[in-house]
Amino acid sequence: MTDKKKEDELLNHDYDGIQEYDNDLPNWWKQLFILTIVFALTYTIYYHLGPGLSQEETLALEIKQAEKIAKWKADEEKLNAPKDINAELMQLVSNKSALEKGKVVFEGQCAACHGAQGQGIIGPNLTDNHWIHGGTIKEIHSTIENGVVEKGMIAWKALLSKDQLQSVVAYVWNLNGTNPTNPKKEEGVLVNR
Amino acid sequence: MNDMLEKFSYDDSVVRKFVLATIIWGAVGMLVGVIIAAQLAYPALNFDLPWITFGRLRPLHTNAVIFAFAGNTIFAGIYYSTQRLLKARMFSDILSNIHFWGWQLIIVSAAITLPLGITVSKEYAELEWPIDIAITLIWVVFAVNFFGTIFKRREKHLYVAIWFYIATIITVAMLHIVNSLAIPVSLYKSYPIYSGIQDALVQWWYGHNAVAFFLTTPFLGLMYYFVPKAAERPVFSYRLSIIHFWSLIFLYIWSGPHHLLNSSLPNWAQTMGTVFSIILIAPSWGGMINGLLTLRGAWDKLRTDPVLKFMVVGITFYGMSTFEGPMMSIKSINALTHFTDYTIGHVHSGALGWNGFIAFGLIYYLVPKLWKVPFWSQKLVTAHFWTATIGIVIYITAMWAAGITQGLMWRAITSEGVLKYPNFIETVVKLQPFYIARLLGGVLYLTGTILLVYNVFKTIAVSKAQKADLTDPSFQAAPLTHDKEEEENDDKHSHPTPWHRKLEGKPLIFGCLVLVAVFIGGPFEFVPLALIKTNVPQISSVHPYTPLELEGRDLYIKEGCYNCHSQMVRPFRDEVLRYGEYSKSGEFIYDHPFQFGSKRTGPDLHRLGGKYPSSWHWKHMREPISTSPGSIMPRYPWLYENKYDLESISSKIKAMKTLGVPYSNEDISNAAINMDAQANKIVEELKSQGEAVSDTEAKSEIIALIAYLQRLGTDIKAKTETSKKDNNK
Repeated sequence: MTDKKKEDELLNHDYDGIQEYDNDLPNWWKQLFILTIVFALTYTIYYHLGPGLSQEETLALEIKQAEKIAKWKADEEKLNAPKDINAELMQLVSNKSALEKGKVVFEGQCAACHGAQGQGIIGPNLTDNHWIHGGTIKEIHSTIENGVVEKGMIAWKALLSKDQLQSVVAYVWNLNGTNPTNPKKEEGVLVNR
Repeated sequence: MNDMLEKFSYDDSVVRKFVLATIIWGAVGMLVGVIIAAQLAYPALNFDLPWITFGRLRPLHTNAVIFAFAGNTIFAGIYYSTQRLLKARMFSDILSNIHFWGWQLIIVSAAITLPLGITVSKEYAELEWPIDIAITLIWVVFAVNFFGTIFKRREKHLYVAIWFYIATIITVAMLHIVNSLAIPVSLYKSYPIYSGIQDALVQWWYGHNAVAFFLTTPFLGLMYYFVPKAAERPVFSYRLSIIHFWSLIFLYIWSGPHHLLNSSLPNWAQTMGTVFSIILIAPSWGGMINGLLTLRGAWDKLRTDPVLKFMVVGITFYGMSTFEGPMMSIKSINALTHFTDYTIGHVHSGALGWNGFIAFGLIYYLVPKLWKVPFWSQKLVTAHFWTATIGIVIYITAMWAAGITQGLMWRAITSEGVLKYPNFIETVVKLQPFYIARLLGGVLYLTGTILLVYNVFKTIAVSKAQKADLTDPSFQAAPLTHDKEEEENDDKHSHPTPWHRKLEGKPLIFGCLVLVAVFIGGPFEFVPLALIKTNVPQISSVHPYTPLELEGRDLYIKEGCYNCHSQMVRPFRDEVLRYGEYSKSGEFIYDHPFQFGSKRTGPDLHRLGGKYPSSWHWKHMREPISTSPGSIMPRYPWLYENKYDLESISSKIKAMKTLGVPYSNEDISNAAINMDAQANKIVEELKSQGEAVSDTEAKSEIIALIAYLQRLGTDIKAKTETSKKDNNK
């Protein structure tokens, strides 16, 4: 291998004055080419003949892990949970930081259908005393948590953390009696607090 | 020998025409790009006018830049260099002119039809079937003219630039024809013969290789002519030319599926897309190093020669994008970048950096030679170089940042297992500053191009004033001899690769080998998908669209919704949380064409059906911010005025039936009646939800669109519901 070719030897090519050298391909280029081919073979074998997971298997695994964690958390919460959800929610109604958090959630998620002031657009007015799916704080919580899917209200438990969910319930509770501009007409039944 | 010399001249007038078309269409295409970039930053700029909404203008931008700007660049460079490399005038001046004017007419027809919403919706192949046929014919004219020139050449061997031109002409013809096959419904409407995942695979086999054989191989050919000419240096390595040419054209075809990673495309096809993209790095870089290393010993010229300056930066961007592309073809990286602005950054580093700068280098090389006077202003040339370079850098960094930001926001899940940014709008609002920065980058780049246009026209004026002699330059050369002795002499020359050298003297065989090389990859992708049933598992609850839904789907296509909305929920935890069940290939079997999309400026829509009440869509399409504050979506007031099309629905259903969608004859004859009936139901629903729907609105396009949107992705829900019921029994 000592008779290494001289660099920059011209070939007898001439196209409109363009000439070409007879240089060998750079070594790093050849190695790179081989390396990528090795990668390709390894990748294919690993994912199709070896232990590599398909995208569907990866997702299933991730969901399984997430469910496990969720179950732990739920068990833990059950142990520490106050007995009365009503009381727990009512506490938040006067909690300033919870209300602020609830406001953020409301404006981001709920305003699209219920209006920025809760006056109702597609979804019902939340400021009056009429409720379609129950007006106790527990019922409001359940409506937000599980949604009313057939009417377009999403089950928010998939999208909001427990904390966010409870704060927005408190926020909605406090919307009652505010006087928004352009309120939607009353729907549902009168509920006296 | 001397008495055997033939006299001939080169046709430079057609090159001049192509050069002018290049700069004019370049400026137009970039201007449209700036307009749509501005619309993303400031949605009011859609002006509530159908013809200039983002969804209709974006295809005009891509088509103008690819086929008008890059296309005319290629033709200018090929017509100029081919004649000189082959020592022959183009085969036929008439064909050259038909090619030129035909191509410009195609561009004009695209500029008219796309804003009117006449589109197939397959990216970079949006033009409807009559224009597709025109493209085919003009391409054949080009091919005849080009190969005719090869056969009357006076240079025995074909130079590497010519190899790349051959590959371009053959492959583009193959891609265009296969991807454009469709059944016409009317002069302005057709349905592709493929459906769903098969259509997507053919489309991205085309789309990816349009990048390869319209934006890469011809430009490499141009590089191989203009860089050594401008640098006055020999090409670095002839052997590298051979290896990287054949490996590039062979491998490129296989990597199309990387546009469908993490989708419902079967895993084996995705693997093909990934691994062939990785193997493409070296062949791509072969072109880069052969270009850059040709400059050894001539680097000082960069300081003074604008041609080399533009070309070297262009080649560098080529090297960068051809590394970035393979990286984005790795599934885990693609999971983050796909559907985001990162991809937009990637294509623009290719289009603005590589194609644009090679085109500009070429124009700065050609104009003084074609009009026989030096450039009017060297200062403007320098100004062009810097505004364009800075423009690209701002553009790409803005898009990289936007893409990564949005990609990370989409997938963020809190420790409690819920989406951190459940509202898609939050991720859109975050991008506003990046969109403004991108607009600035685009404006700078366009400014550079305007400087170029101005400078060229001033230069031409000088040429006219000086009455420069623009007659075709004439030359002398010996005709090709079929002298065995001479051939052997040439081969005896201890050539490093005598076999390839021989091949370079046999264009017909060379062309056939190219065809074989570029053909192989396609069948390996399409045939298994079409023949093996398990590749697209059947879902029994999936049924064809109703007439009204089909009409709504055609409106979705017409308005270009796919430019901003995907219909492909990827099998990721965050997407399943955000959108619902991930998409299955069996759900798309009646989709002619597929509507997966490639960008999520807005959210995915595949599971939109039934998510909101119809009144939500009614409000949203008229005033998006009423339901989604912060939305940058245009308003669609005309959908409430235009009537849905009752007349052609029967022929549409009939065409679908021809394509294998299981409609009955009654479906065809009752199409219009069924359409009205479903529309009435939706209107009733809207009214019950408190919307005031006037009589004209009750038969307007919005009703059809709502029907389609409410249908999206619901077939599979019906299946789970029935199976639940079955379980309860």
